[in-house]
Amino acid sequence: MGEARKAPRVVFCGLASCFGCQINITNIESHLMEVLGQVDLKYWQLTSSEPMPDEFDVAVIEGAVTTEDAVRTVQALREGAKAVITIGACAATSGIPGMSTSDHEGDLQRVYGEDVPQIVSGGAISPKAVKDVITVDYEVPCCPVDPYDFVEVLQHALYGSNIYRRTSTLCGECKNNERGCFYGRQILCLGMVTRSGCGARCPNLGRPCNGCAGISPDANVDQAKVIAERTGVGQAALEEALRMFNQPEVI
Amino acid sequence: MLYRVMDSSELPKLIEAFMESYEVIAPVQSGRSVAFEPISSFDEVVLDYPTTLTSLKKYILPPRETLFEFNVDEADITDYTLKVKPRVLFGAHACDINALNNLDLVFEDSRYPDPYYEAHRRATMVIGINCMPTESCFCHLLDADEVRSGYDLFLQDLGGRYLISIGSVEAANILESACELREATDEDRREFRRLTRERQEAFSEDIPDIQEIPMLMDAFHKDEFWEELGGRCLSCTACSAVCPTCHCFDIADTLDPDGKTGRRERILDACTSPQFAVVTGGHNFREGGRERVRHRMYHKLNGFNSKHGRYLCVGCGRCVRACKSDISPIEVLRFFERKGADIA
Repeated sequence: MGEARKAPRVVFCGLASCFGCQINITNIESHLMEVLGQVDLKYWQLTSSEPMPDEFDVAVIEGAVTTEDAVRTVQALREGAKAVITIGACAATSGIPGMSTSDHEGDLQRVYGEDVPQIVSGGAISPKAVKDVITVDYEVPCCPVDPYDFVEVLQHALYGSNIYRRTSTLCGECKNNERGCFYGRQILCLGMVTRSGCGARCPNLGRPCNGCAGISPDANVDQAKVIAERTGVGQAALEEALRMFNQPEVI
Repeated sequence: MLYRVMDSSELPKLIEAFMESYEVIAPVQSGRSVAFEPISSFDEVVLDYPTTLTSLKKYILPPRETLFEFNVDEADITDYTLKVKPRVLFGAHACDINALNNLDLVFEDSRYPDPYYEAHRRATMVIGINCMPTESCFCHLLDADEVRSGYDLFLQDLGGRYLISIGSVEAANILESACELREATDEDRREFRRLTRERQEAFSEDIPDIQEIPMLMDAFHKDEFWEELGGRCLSCTACSAVCPTCHCFDIADTLDPDGKTGRRERILDACTSPQFAVVTGGHNFREGGRERVRHRMYHKLNGFNSKHGRYLCVGCGRCVRACKSDISPIEVLRFFERKGADIA
């Protein structure tokens, strides 16, 4: 036997987001110490004001890239890390901050007036998903992330895994919950284009899917628009709802 | 086949007798639809129900099933025995019993029997009940509106009484000890025939009766129809989730949060899921909706026939209602009808 394997060094970094995904990881409660026991936690931005360490193996990133400073941060994380994991919708699709990408300059002026303060305008960029700035190895979707999903993806990065993440959309998982469909009731639900994997938990609680897992790369958005029209929901309402968690080019 | 007749008022006694030693699953009202769920009293049962949203498959082939457990530190597989509940599936329609019979052909194959499937199936009694077709039912076109085996009892409501076809000794013993029975009379048999005719004539005439479907599937394999049908697929897999005979699965090793223990699971998959036919190296044998939807229809209406001599699709119509894009075997039958019209 060789020398004992060193625990991988992990850093957590938060960009433009509510930090809810980092908080939700702590909601795994009794398992938290078991998970932390598998890594050498070097830095957790949620619990620290110190600067990021220089050496690490796995970088976990929450949030959208909204400043030039954040671009440099994620580039440094990519350079230092063997594996980059993004957590949550903001990091995956630019999420809520990304709602302003279609008219970023206009949004700044609507908020600050003609004289946008230098501290805002100086470094601000149109919000981007982390994967649009650097190569991302693993993604944990949704708003917020499910802590068990995070642990599964972290373990995938640490040990490898044969779990396949499908790009099928949500309705199949929803049918397994036997909750019927919102479309017969003229209620807008984004499940038909949203990537599966969450188990359709919102529809299972009686709420339509708001698409926080993002549009699947294999979604048939054109057909979804046809269905929205035909079922009385309307194409415009579908497109507007999709803007919350998706970039305009995929809608 | 052995038949007995029982007054309808005896039915609660039968269900209660089953409930003494089995978990009884029956159709119950669930939101706006009907679902097969465990019951605690006869009053919950909806006897005259339209097809349920999902099928009985979940009790034999669950969406997620542990195959064994393992320990990473010890590099060992833990002994694992599937714990199955002895169950009675009460109120199954003919199509759903035929669907279970089709699954048996796959999972009880004598060369490769599936121990998990068999464990569920052997612990499960099936009690069928007659039904009337909904507008999306087409079981009669696929030879699945009658059921000849695969049930323990089958109840035909004759109005105030049931004609019961007895399929197993186990169920017969419970039936005889719990209920007052009598022999079937000629009048009972005449009424049975009349009601059977009534059901046969109640199917929607909008669904075309096509002969030689498997041959037509081969003849029109390259038709642009498949592009049109597959082009509108949402890749949502609702069709296979609700299908009583879709049974393809994926295998995944799931670790516990401690990273030390875990389990190998069978997770139901779907050939309409975009990555279903991806192989090592990354090639996808069915990359587009056209190939995936066509493949699913071929297995239902052609491929299974060549191996087992019957359609895998039982015409229950669940996918007809589940698909928001109107993709279903009915659309395939309509396509063949149009082709016939084109030729003529």
